[in-house]
Amino acid sequence: MTLLDLLALAPVLVLVLGASTLLMVGAWYHEPRPLVAGGVAVALIAAVIAGVAPPAPTEIAGLFSSAPFARYFAVLWSLLAALILMLSLRYATERDFAAGEYVSLILFSAAGMALLSGATSLVGLFLSLESFTLALYILVSFHRNNHQGAEAGLKYLVLGAVATGFMAFGIALIYAASGTFHLPDALQGLQAGEHLRPWGLLGWGLVLVAVGFKISLVPFHLWTPDVYQGAPAPVTALLATGSKGAVGAALVMVLAGSPGTWQELVPLLWMLALLTMLVGSLCALPQENLKRLLAYSSVVHMGYLLTALLPGSPEGYSAVVFYLTVYTFASLGAFAVITSLSDASGEPQELTAWRGLGYRYPVRGAVLSACLLSLAGMPLTGGFIGKFVLFAAAIKGGFTGLAVVAILASLISFAYYLRVVLVLYGSDESRELHPGNALEHAVLLVCVTAILLLGLYPAPLLELIATLIP
Amino acid sequence: MTTMATALPQFPWLTLLIGLPLAGALLCLLQRRSAGECRWLALATTLATLAVSLWLFVTHGDGQSGWLLREDAAWIPRFGIRYTLALDGISLLMVLLTAGLHTVAVLIAWPEQRRVPLFMALLLMLESGLMGVFLAVDGVLVLFYLCWEARLLPMVFLIGIWGEEGRRRAAVRFFLYTLAGSLAMLIAMIALYLLYAAQTGAPSFALADLARTRLTLTQEYLLFGGFMLAFAIKAPLVPFHTWQPDALSESPAAGSVDLTGLLLKTGLYGMIRFAFPLFPHATRNSLPFLAALALLGLFHAAWNAYRQDDIKRILAYSSISHLGLVVLGLAAWNATAWQGSILLMVTHGVVTGALFAVVAMLRSRTGTRELAELGGLWGAVPTLSAFFLLFALASLGLPGLANFAGEILVLLGTFRSQPLWALLALPGLVFAAAYLLRLVQGMLWGPAPAARGMMADLTVREWLVLIPLAVLTVWLGLYPAPFLAPLAGPVQAALGGLP
Repeated sequence: MTLLDLLALAPVLVLVLGASTLLMVGAWYHEPRPLVAGGVAVALIAAVIAGVAPPAPTEIAGLFSSAPFARYFAVLWSLLAALILMLSLRYATERDFAAGEYVSLILFSAAGMALLSGATSLVGLFLSLESFTLALYILVSFHRNNHQGAEAGLKYLVLGAVATGFMAFGIALIYAASGTFHLPDALQGLQAGEHLRPWGLLGWGLVLVAVGFKISLVPFHLWTPDVYQGAPAPVTALLATGSKGAVGAALVMVLAGSPGTWQELVPLLWMLALLTMLVGSLCALPQENLKRLLAYSSVVHMGYLLTALLPGSPEGYSAVVFYLTVYTFASLGAFAVITSLSDASGEPQELTAWRGLGYRYPVRGAVLSACLLSLAGMPLTGGFIGKFVLFAAAIKGGFTGLAVVAILASLISFAYYLRVVLVLYGSDESRELHPGNALEHAVLLVCVTAILLLGLYPAPLLELIATLIP
Repeated sequence: MTTMATALPQFPWLTLLIGLPLAGALLCLLQRRSAGECRWLALATTLATLAVSLWLFVTHGDGQSGWLLREDAAWIPRFGIRYTLALDGISLLMVLLTAGLHTVAVLIAWPEQRRVPLFMALLLMLESGLMGVFLAVDGVLVLFYLCWEARLLPMVFLIGIWGEEGRRRAAVRFFLYTLAGSLAMLIAMIALYLLYAAQTGAPSFALADLARTRLTLTQEYLLFGGFMLAFAIKAPLVPFHTWQPDALSESPAAGSVDLTGLLLKTGLYGMIRFAFPLFPHATRNSLPFLAALALLGLFHAAWNAYRQDDIKRILAYSSISHLGLVVLGLAAWNATAWQGSILLMVTHGVVTGALFAVVAMLRSRTGTRELAELGGLWGAVPTLSAFFLLFALASLGLPGLANFAGEILVLLGTFRSQPLWALLALPGLVFAAAYLLRLVQGMLWGPAPAARGMMADLTVREWLVLIPLAVLTVWLGLYPAPFLAPLAGPVQAALGGLP
């Protein structure tokens, strides 16, 4: 490892060192406010370094890339960590979370996500995926006195461990078949050893199962609603955005790195995308709990992403990256509204609790509506442009049938998102909930600005993303 | 006249038409203090928009073909998407109708007490979206689609929050129906865009470019089908109309005016502007089919209107029936019938808007919309009843009143190219007379229900709503020439190259 490597790793190093320092400080010093402020500062510094430092030409230790693509996601996940920390301050204080540990775990998971988004070897993929999943195991059940949280943590842990097993075994098979961990080669190596090819493909199938667990593709999605419901709302936000987005970015890295070598997996991915969109949509329809509804909605969104990944075209990859960005802000915004309306007595999850809130809390009602409509793909929001580029890429790549299914799923999604919006504005009486604080409103403002900006003037980001695709 | 336009080439009049109502809507939302201020703010906004569109009408309404005004800027270069607005004679009339009816809608919504700022804001957003639909023509299909969708949500909220008893169901149904159509259109749009990009190598969403795409007949039918599904649901043509009576009868008064006067017209406008010119062969081959649907709608809806007991539903079905005649005129595919159809779109907007306004005024006095519980209104509120009679007669096409000119042009034009269709359509007009006279008879004459108390006749605000509408109704009937003038050029151009 040379100095150049270290420099290339700088954003992640800042996150990890900052997290470790805050963890140590937190052991003696329990005041949440300075600790969270420190965490936000660390995340922002990491984002700035990732954004301005010139990208290093080399791979880091043959495991991680520091190409612009990885840098983009390092910026995104660091910003996400900062926003989630801002969101968590009151929430964590009211529940007596150990601030040092909480802050450092969020930063650790952001570091893991940043690494995963640039993984160039199966080992790097495995290490980074496990490192942030480990942080999330703890975060999901961080609220110790809440047994829904404990249940969610256990579910996530058990299923996550199974997925890890699948992935480890799959990687072993791939290594046996191709003789390398390095990513484009591991796929291309399959071509060389013809008689080992079935084993290699089986290995990729197993890795796909593990990935399916992480980003909750149907039929590996069963943990999602329970874990979303039980985890603390800011952690659910991280789970829904960063942990899925990072895996999505890693998929783009893997698939884009070795064009034309994964044709055998296409029917499998096609099936997964179809099932994910259909089952996710149908399950979301009857939900009466907002967090469960968002869980199923996140399932459907991963189906959209797969739809655009399938053609294996640069347009498809750019579309996925753009969509992930929009989805991150929209989803974060929705969970931020839930967080900011929560108080010590709990989170408003049932839809009945949301009746008429659009009038009592106009800002948060409007932000939630904007986020949900963006998730649905309403024109003028980023979600529309995102879906437009996704579906255009899918149709162009010859996956018209799947694109039609995706559009039908969007139609269904309007039904369940709109139901929430009508609940927000459809009734005159409303319950009194927490008025929220300035930090939380700042997060909401960031999310809603991003959604509208990307909906009205997406050109700069689209241009930027087109240059990133490896 | 044209020197005026060239003298001020830089001023973005069209963006102003979209931006004014949007700005008004935001102001309404931001100032949350008093309902009264919001009403005045909304009225001022709609009046300003009306003034701009009147000015454009006066300066540009002389019937030249081609674009009268055009604004164009790069938007998303990577996908060949541009921000282009353009105005021709047809959109000019639609813009004028939009601005006029929204002023009326604001006045009708004046007595609304609940959540006035939000209500006015939604009404103004709707106006902005409609302006976008009528202006985003030349370049950007995407912009058209944006506005097409953007006007959907305010309407859903207007129905879903301020509507009558069955509002929630009607709102969701309206939304899903419209959205199903729009998504079909979106797929067709993307497919067309990709085909064009594959053929030329330069992606573009410009209407003029896409019209040059080489398509096989099958492709053309499929894409035409995608576009027409969206427009047919919106218009609505008969097998796709079931959302409309619910939406119209459950929506608040101002929403009904908007929905019937303007939103339904966007479907027809979409056919004229996009579906027909983009897919000329498919259009030519499906004209008889379109005419059959139109005739079916004309009779089916008229028959249903005759059977209803709810006055709003009668008017809803009468709208479907009238729009059947409009579509028939379009299917006849000649200049006379097209001018008649477009004129009928405008007059129908004015007349039906006025009818819904009067019904809302009656309803606020009697508290019911069941025909059986009304009657004898002429004795109680003579002026209001007189207005209702005037608009009802205009609606059934009495010579000298608004709808007559349009209807006669449609029938004449249709008779010229397809005599059979015109003959088949004639009894439809008799049907219209039947259900409208039943409506008038049941409401205005006959014995008054015993339990009715005293009712006040028109207030000043109501006079202000009805007088301009009545003047327009008579004017459009006696001297429609100024409104036909801007159509001459564009209609000829749109029909060019086809039978």
